[in-house]
Amino acid sequence: MLRLEKTKENQSDILSLFGEVDASNSVILDEAIQELVASGTKSLVIDGKNLEYISSAGLGVFMSYLEDFQDQEISMKICELTPRVFEVFRILGLDQLIPIYPDRAAAFAE
Amino acid sequence: MVKLPPIHIGKLSVLLAILVWLGLLFVDLVRLFGIINEMDSGISDEITWILEILFFFTLYGFYNYSVGKNIQGDFVNLLWRAASTGIFATGIAVITELFYISMGDSKLATEPFLKNFFYHVNFALTAIFLISSALLWKHLILYQKNKKVVQQWQTFEFAMLLAMFFVFFNKNNFDYSFLFAMVILFAITIVLSGNLKWIPYLTFKEKWKSLLFLFLILVCTGYLFRRLLAYGEAEIYQVNLTDNLFLMALFMFIFTYALFSFLVTLFNLPTSSVFEQKLTEAINFQRLSQSIQPDDDEEQVLDILLDSCMSASYSDGAWIEINPEGQNEGINQLRFLDEATKGELSELIKTQKSAIGWASTDQPEMLQPLLVRLEHPRYESTLLIPLVINKVAIGRMVLCKEVRDGFNKEMVNIISTFVRQACIAVENHRLLNQAIQNERYQEELKIAQRVQKALLPAKLDHPDQFDICAFSNAADEVGGDYYDTYKLDENRYVLIIGDVSGKGTSAAFHMAQMKGVFQSLIQLNLSPAQFMIKANSALSKCLERNHFITASIFLINIAEQKICHSRAGHVPTLFYKAKEAKSDYLFFDGLGLGILRNKQYENHVQEETFTYESGDILVLITDGIVEAKNQKGQQFGFERIRSLVEIHHTKSPKEIQNQLIDSLHVFVGGDGMIEDDYSMMVVKFQNSLAQTNQ
Repeated sequence: MLRLEKTKENQSDILSLFGEVDASNSVILDEAIQELVASGTKSLVIDGKNLEYISSAGLGVFMSYLEDFQDQEISMKICELTPRVFEVFRILGLDQLIPIYPDRAAAFAE
Repeated sequence: MVKLPPIHIGKLSVLLAILVWLGLLFVDLVRLFGIINEMDSGISDEITWILEILFFFTLYGFYNYSVGKNIQGDFVNLLWRAASTGIFATGIAVITELFYISMGDSKLATEPFLKNFFYHVNFALTAIFLISSALLWKHLILYQKNKKVVQQWQTFEFAMLLAMFFVFFNKNNFDYSFLFAMVILFAITIVLSGNLKWIPYLTFKEKWKSLLFLFLILVCTGYLFRRLLAYGEAEIYQVNLTDNLFLMALFMFIFTYALFSFLVTLFNLPTSSVFEQKLTEAINFQRLSQSIQPDDDEEQVLDILLDSCMSASYSDGAWIEINPEGQNEGINQLRFLDEATKGELSELIKTQKSAIGWASTDQPEMLQPLLVRLEHPRYESTLLIPLVINKVAIGRMVLCKEVRDGFNKEMVNIISTFVRQACIAVENHRLLNQAIQNERYQEELKIAQRVQKALLPAKLDHPDQFDICAFSNAADEVGGDYYDTYKLDENRYVLIIGDVSGKGTSAAFHMAQMKGVFQSLIQLNLSPAQFMIKANSALSKCLERNHFITASIFLINIAEQKICHSRAGHVPTLFYKAKEAKSDYLFFDGLGLGILRNKQYENHVQEETFTYESGDILVLITDGIVEAKNQKGQQFGFERIRSLVEIHHTKSPKEIQNQLIDSLHVFVGGDGMIEDDYSMMVVKFQNSLAQTNQ
């Protein structure tokens, strides 16, 4: 089960994830990010405080935007990942490509 | 040995009947001769009666046999048999009567022997007519029989049997006992005559024929009865054969049943079309439910549906409209209307408020048929019926009549039933086709599964210096995990494990690509980091945008006892050091393949070299094992793998692998499914020197 919540804070679009991202619902995450891009966001913060699990299909969604965001100068940050989910990002090496912060304040500070 | 010819009951009983009748004639004539010549012939009345009863029995035997054999529910034919026998008997009786009238008072007319002979002939024919008719009536009465009717009939037969012997008791007198017996038999006759279930099954035409035949039977019965009564009054016939309770009761039975049948058939005439209509509807209903076979067309069902509904409602025109977005656009069913009239009517229906609301409902499964009045010069009323398949309205059927308010509640009900049945037939047809399709896909997947199994190595290359085993399991039929081994030269071996993101068919295709890329690159004798860089650039060109691959590569040099390792986003490998009796996951930076699809990737991949010793163990895994969840949602995790390997480090790779898989299954729970593909490869280094020294 995955639930998404979109808010705005500090001139950034916050996308909060609740539950699990797997092959069956990664499309929902993809659509949400697409919508935000279409709305013209320049700063996107993914809040992973309540994200319990992310499968490789979910990681694939973030990965697929890396180049586009670089071209369009959109910044994507991830904050407050649980240790288990952070471990998944770290093993794959995505932490080298997407900045990951311990909390929102740190994310905004950059 | 003498072989007896097979006994033919029909012929035998005819022969017997003729013999008995001749005997009867002979006995009576002899007696008459005696009386005329004032001699005592010594033949008592009882002999005549016995012969008479025997005659009845043989007739009964013959007709019971012949009627039972030939009648197969054809009622008109059955009535014709009775009527023709009656006409024949009556004809002979009329001819004899005319003969005597024409003779007047001549000598021949008063000749007692000749008169007696004719009397016997008429008696025989009348008995034949009555007994054969009675047996034909039996078939009519017992049509769609139940236990009660059969009991009634048996009672009647038994009573008639008694009536045959009544003559011995009554001596042919018309007294109170005779009357009493007649009343009882009449009561049974009336009860039996209520069984007229065959009449509704006659068509209109058959009913007219039946009426004619029944009328003939009534006339014949009446005439023969009058004739026999006339004989009875004449003194010349010494022993009265016909004032017999059995014959009288039969007359009464034949006449009453024929009369009842005649009247009921007559009054059934006006409603017979309704019954025929209902029968057609039942047959149509059956056709609708049976019509569709897997190869057939849905249009065929709609065709039958339209015809059935038109006949059920006496419609003057009809058509079926299929919604344009459906799969059956080609269907165009039109009856007794041309396209222009259909267009006019469609336009008129569109102007009706009720029809607009009806058509735009969002709950098609709740939709009822709609009656609409039209201001059309010819068709004044229409009925709209939705065709709803699987809760989706695929179209509608429109029935038109030339009269105002032409559709009543019964018609609407039966049409709704027809439509429901047709829709179910179409739905079943679609489901069946779908099931066949699915089965084909299953077959295809099984083939894919076999092909993919063949992509994994059947035999793993390894020298004596290390033992190795591997295992892979896909969550679906096919998966995205891959492992392989490669012998570079006598001293150098390569181990590879890889995992495509996602699972199922798409992952399986990428897995095949991965194998191709790895197998080509491995021959280039690259360092592990260089291998990953080349693999990344090759795979970046063929992976889908949101897919990536993780992999680990180990280059083992058995001469130097060194391992060079690079990791591309893959789950860290567990390395057990025998000397320290502890294990660690080999973790350092390394980005998955296909994530950065440009030169920058080179900055994100590393390699490390380390030495190994005898007894050390490498456990290569994919994330399916680490992330396998139990019922509480806990993951199997890295620590469980580590402690299991430490506990079982003395065992062979195969045993360690089995231990890990068993623990994994126990952890997930008896019938729990592991949601991702999972694979592992276990390597254990051995003391090759010790082995060679031995």
